[in-house]
Amino acid sequence: MYTLLSGLYKYMFQKDEYCVLILGLDNAGKTTFLEQTKTKFSKNYKGMNLSKITTTVGLNIGTIDVGKARLMFWDLGGQEELQSLWDKYYAESHGVIYVIDSTDEERLSESKEAFGECHTATLHSVMWMYLCLKQPLKDRFTNCLSVPDIKTAFSDSAPKIGKRDCLVQPCTALTGDGVNEGIEWMVKCVVRNIHRPPRQKDIT
Amino acid sequence: MRKACGFFSSLFSGLFGTREMRILILGLDGAGKTTILYRLQVGEVVTTIPTIGFNVETVTYRNLKFQVWDLGGQTSIRPYWRCYYSNTDAVIYVVDSSDRDRMGISKSELVAMLEEEELKKAILVVFANKQDMDQAMTPTEVANALGLPALKDRKWQIFKTSATKGTGLDEAMEWLVDSLKSRQ
Repeated sequence: MYTLLSGLYKYMFQKDEYCVLILGLDNAGKTTFLEQTKTKFSKNYKGMNLSKITTTVGLNIGTIDVGKARLMFWDLGGQEELQSLWDKYYAESHGVIYVIDSTDEERLSESKEAFGECHTATLHSVMWMYLCLKQPLKDRFTNCLSVPDIKTAFSDSAPKIGKRDCLVQPCTALTGDGVNEGIEWMVKCVVRNIHRPPRQKDIT
Repeated sequence: MRKACGFFSSLFSGLFGTREMRILILGLDGAGKTTILYRLQVGEVVTTIPTIGFNVETVTYRNLKFQVWDLGGQTSIRPYWRCYYSNTDAVIYVVDSSDRDRMGISKSELVAMLEEEELKKAILVVFANKQDMDQAMTPTEVANALGLPALKDRKWQIFKTSATKGTGLDEAMEWLVDSLKSRQ
């Protein structure tokens, strides 16, 4: 009887789990974005000091609840040698957030290359979001690329995107502008996507 | 009354940060665990002998007090690691990067350790030690050999270190302190 009731309870209140990868070159701002997201979407979360974030050489995780969905973020290190670790995570992910540093025009082609590789490797039913980070820091960095600039630069990889849903979202992780919009879009998409059902947890 | 006591003591420790963090240093024998422990504590390289049993020291790093346990890594005494798992805040897993032959053993020990219920909440830091050796594996190779990408619900980070040269330890501790602080 107890099992029945607890099973029913879990069935009613269990959250659907979706996994989201955060990728991009090193120093693009992936961890800062993750910390900002955690601060915005979970109560009582006292985030890390954003200025103290160092290079990730491994995995940072974060979980947030939005409505009935629970998003689990995997923030991976972006250095070139660490990019070989990315493919271990594709199979289980529901969405990918690809972070681009808008102020770094020099490495844009490098970013495009890394992006092309992971694009072909991921499943077709995965949702994509591009974050053009460090946007309104324009005053400080005069060479900041605008969203249309980045879209043009990445336009030749459009065939790879195929039928996948994607969004290009300008954002500043340090101040948190654009974070909410991006995450809300992601949640809507992964929930709507019938090709990739949420990660199942056994109801026992 | 006891509840009130607990409240005040937790408030006190919250204000002054006096709670000691419990950290385990684990890894196969000869990986350099004891050298790392004393490098952290006194900042010098000490001559060590294989640890049978454990070494425990208090290390203060940026106002955070750590109680660091260095447990012996020989095959016969590895089963006793589990006696020390409870209330552990972080695990420093030390790997000899030049010892390619025993990577598999190191991996299986790590996997077995992480399955323990008591270590569910612990942060994992891997030290790819002995980077000063010529044939040392890169951190990425070590991460792959240890099967770290298979860990999906735990925060982990790998650092290249050389305990004898003292490189890499500072940034690793820096990261550990930051993530322990943000977790509270």
